[in-house]
Amino acid sequence: MTNNLMYFAILLPAVISLLAFATRKMGKVCAATALLGAVVNLVVAIKLFGQTAAVHVPWTSWGLDFTLRLYSFSGFIVLAAAGFALAITLYSLPFMAKREHSGLFYFQLLLSVAFANGAALADNLILLLFFWEGLLITLYGLIAIGRPGAWKSAMKALVLVGVSDVCMMFGIALAGHFAGTMQISKMHLVLTETGPTLAFLFLIIGATAKAGALPFHSWIPDAAEDAPLPFMALMPAAFEKLLGIYFLARITLDMFALTPGSWCSTLLMTLGAITILVAVMMALIQKDYKRLLAYHAISQVGYMILGIGTAVPAGIVGGLFHMINHALYKSGLFLSGGSVERQTGTTDLSKLGGLARQMPITFFCFFVTACSISGVPPFNGFISKELIYDGALERGGIFYAAALLGSFLTAASFLKLGHSAYFGKVSEANKNVKEAPWAMLVPMLTIAGFCILFGVYNQLPLHKLIQPVLGEHRLEGHDYAGWHFNIMLVVGTLVVLALALLNHFIGVKRSGSGIGAADHIHYAPGLHQAYDAAEKGWFDPYELGLTLARGVGRVTWGVDRFINWVSDGLAVGVTAMFSYLVRSFHTGSLPIYLWWAIAGVALVIILLVKVN
Amino acid sequence: MSLDTIMLLVVVVPVFGSLLLPLVGKVCKSTRNGLALLLVLVSLAGSLMLIGPVMSGKVITLTFPTGFGQMMLMADRLAVFMALVSSLVGAIIVFYSWGYISHYENQNEYYLLVVLFLGAMMGLVFAANLLILYIFWEITAIASWRLIGFFRSPAIVLRADKSFLVTFFGATMMLLGFIMVREQAGSWDLPAIKAALVGHPLSSAAVALILLGILSKSATLPLQTWLPDAGVAPSPVTALLHAAVLVKIGVYAYARLFVVNMPLPEIWQTIVPAIAGVSALVAAGAALLETDLKRLIAFSTISQIGFIFLGLSIGGELALAGGLLYILMHGVAKGGLFLCAGIVEQNTHCKDITKLGGLIKTMPVTAIAFLICTFSVIGIPPLGGFFSKYMVIAGAAKGPHLWIVLSFVGTAFLTIIYLMRVFVMVFMGEPKTELKSEGSPVMVWSVALLALLSIAGGLLIYYPSFFATEATRQILGLIP
Repeated sequence: MTNNLMYFAILLPAVISLLAFATRKMGKVCAATALLGAVVNLVVAIKLFGQTAAVHVPWTSWGLDFTLRLYSFSGFIVLAAAGFALAITLYSLPFMAKREHSGLFYFQLLLSVAFANGAALADNLILLLFFWEGLLITLYGLIAIGRPGAWKSAMKALVLVGVSDVCMMFGIALAGHFAGTMQISKMHLVLTETGPTLAFLFLIIGATAKAGALPFHSWIPDAAEDAPLPFMALMPAAFEKLLGIYFLARITLDMFALTPGSWCSTLLMTLGAITILVAVMMALIQKDYKRLLAYHAISQVGYMILGIGTAVPAGIVGGLFHMINHALYKSGLFLSGGSVERQTGTTDLSKLGGLARQMPITFFCFFVTACSISGVPPFNGFISKELIYDGALERGGIFYAAALLGSFLTAASFLKLGHSAYFGKVSEANKNVKEAPWAMLVPMLTIAGFCILFGVYNQLPLHKLIQPVLGEHRLEGHDYAGWHFNIMLVVGTLVVLALALLNHFIGVKRSGSGIGAADHIHYAPGLHQAYDAAEKGWFDPYELGLTLARGVGRVTWGVDRFINWVSDGLAVGVTAMFSYLVRSFHTGSLPIYLWWAIAGVALVIILLVKVN
Repeated sequence: MSLDTIMLLVVVVPVFGSLLLPLVGKVCKSTRNGLALLLVLVSLAGSLMLIGPVMSGKVITLTFPTGFGQMMLMADRLAVFMALVSSLVGAIIVFYSWGYISHYENQNEYYLLVVLFLGAMMGLVFAANLLILYIFWEITAIASWRLIGFFRSPAIVLRADKSFLVTFFGATMMLLGFIMVREQAGSWDLPAIKAALVGHPLSSAAVALILLGILSKSATLPLQTWLPDAGVAPSPVTALLHAAVLVKIGVYAYARLFVVNMPLPEIWQTIVPAIAGVSALVAAGAALLETDLKRLIAFSTISQIGFIFLGLSIGGELALAGGLLYILMHGVAKGGLFLCAGIVEQNTHCKDITKLGGLIKTMPVTAIAFLICTFSVIGIPPLGGFFSKYMVIAGAAKGPHLWIVLSFVGTAFLTIIYLMRVFVMVFMGEPKTELKSEGSPVMVWSVALLALLSIAGGLLIYYPSFFATEATRQILGLIP
């Protein structure tokens, strides 16, 4: 029965997505089909959760087998994905109604669910890659159906994620070769040899890029502006974090035994720290609700990678807990942005203000989720960040300092966002704005509720979801649930939050408005120039990569043209010269021809005599 | 009907049937069109009928004593696989031609040459004798020469001459190589050669000469430049050249000669992948700068052929099976790309991608078919191209030449960029030309069918993959 349910988890959303495709022109029917699909998927996911099972169907002789594995971790991911899928489908009913392409949106949403379930349940690396890379199609499609011109962002996303997926394909090929099996749960590779280390690095590129880490991140802010908003809450905020971090954890915990102190661990932590800081610095200066959130979706991944990269239990538990927390608060934040967008028609912060009174429930949800992402106690983000700090401090003060600085900037940018959108003066255009419809508020409230629950009663997620993933032996007897933290760390966090508040007041006083609260950092000497360059896309890996590719193209174009010249120019020229030479022998004079003939005969005779 | 008769009919029916087409065309055009498709379908049906016997381990042979050997035709799994791919894609292309070529003159000649071309391909695939192989090889060269120069303007005829001269140069070198093989092994027959060469590897001079022929036909560096130039041909012809038949002749000959019958000295397992790697990279880079739609897809073909060569030449079961599967998946997807390009070209009278745009609004089916085929060539699941690309890369990663594999990974990056660039420039953005409606139903159905085949090839990967791995195991002698 459980085995069949695993098939259902993949097949049902796929089949219902085809139904949604068939009814894509029939607005409400299609939406109802999508809602049905999301509900059915959640029911299946709930039934699967907490069970263990395995399916193995031999398929090919070259490693691709249909192998699924249901255990604590994969069941958790499937359940979380199903929850978000339902919440976002419900939210989309009013949001996407009357929009062009809403049918295609639901079709691709359900297809993404099928792929995500497949990727989470797969225990065969090639099968995992199949579902994982399949998400590229819906990634492209969901962005492309956004506002006119969205295809540019869609292509950017496809190229960046596609390149990382090719890296992962190579990593999977190497890993399978060195391990002698394609089954993830049977792989035991060590990071002391060159080959497996290479495989590890390429796999890490795939996993972290999916989660949205540097340097494959730059499509996310662009997509935030172009794609339909529920996409942002679904993919970059929830699905991609769940899958990317899930696979990262499986690489570091199951396939390879990452040990604290190894250079691979330090590499991961460095990647995490850089991602946190670079992205949050960019988030700070954004003047658009959705774009600001998008940079945070990148920045927060850094915490997860940093936590898992520490390879110590506290860090890993913190990283995984942060994954689910992030999915909650970030999709909640995006949904609040969507409700502002739907009611006011804009997400430009300079045109917003004073919405707290007009949209109190949206504001409440924003407040909870913003506190959560900033690490304010007692919300869920606080707990997971403390655990990550704990792990980071164990590995080195510098990583702790980077994470703390990231928290300062995160808090600062959310103070700015909240202030400029929900406080201050109401603009003329927004005088008559009303609260969003209930179908949008219910998912937001639910998510906000989970943010509080997972913080106050963190025993629930830690005992039921996170700690079983590591298992007794890796936890080394620790239990991280509850409220017993290192006092020093808590004090550090509180000081940083207080500083962020202070910084905000200074900024507001200087600039005179909420939206300018970060201007004194933005226009600080030195930073100013760096920001200008970044805004122009000078550091965008996509642009840099395209420039590099064009450079390669120019060189190889030259090679190709040279070869073309050899065949079209040189060969023709040589032939022409030869025929010119031979033609000069043909003067039309018979005596000369006769002499040629006599000389030829003589040559033949000489040769014959010699041979004999 | 005995199996060897079926095999003979697969070859003979299109080769000789094609000669009837101009006569029938004088009487009735639609009968001619139907007959042309029927002739190719006979090959397809015959190949399908051969699947069962060859999969059960039979090797079908047809012998006929002549002055140059006993063996004439032979069908093993590799041959049947290749015949199926060619006749399947070939049949769709002939069907598409019904719509495309109806706008032009000299249709009788067109159908004669296309069917003759496909028939010669069948002969080449089943050939079990070096001379037979050479004869069919040159028939395809002559047919393609005439087809590339189908639109008679002098510049176009010059391009056709170039492609003929380059491939003819290669073929002559190959013939010299064949003569050297004959000297060394004492026979033209492939099975006899195989037996004679056990323990006596072929001389490197012979290998190099034959390789020149193969590279010229498969448009691989340094003999690749004729292929983009051949883009002046009618679109179904370019599809035929690039996707289904001509360029696959070279890779098939490589598999037939060097993998099955004349094992190469060790050193060539480095040389050939290295050539393929450079060729794939150079063509992919050039595709990034090219602006002519058909030339661009031609560069893409050169680049993808590199992947196939990598699979066939690097050694190992997985890579070899991947290379064979790649022939199928690339044939279907690239055929789709060219036929879509044909619809675009015929409707807008423009091949310059910088002057096109926004066509998805009026040509949605063509656009989506093009996108699906693009995804397949890039290697995105659930499309067929994903599996073949994975198998080739993974198979090559088992080998000792990690740098060569990494260069192919780089080429795969470029593939994503240049193919998406084409799609975006042609179908997205603001329309720059007068918008026209879709092509004729026959043409749209053909591209939709190829796109669907790309999807089916991925979702039902079990069957083509099983066929390819079984063929590989037979080639490597693991099973009879």
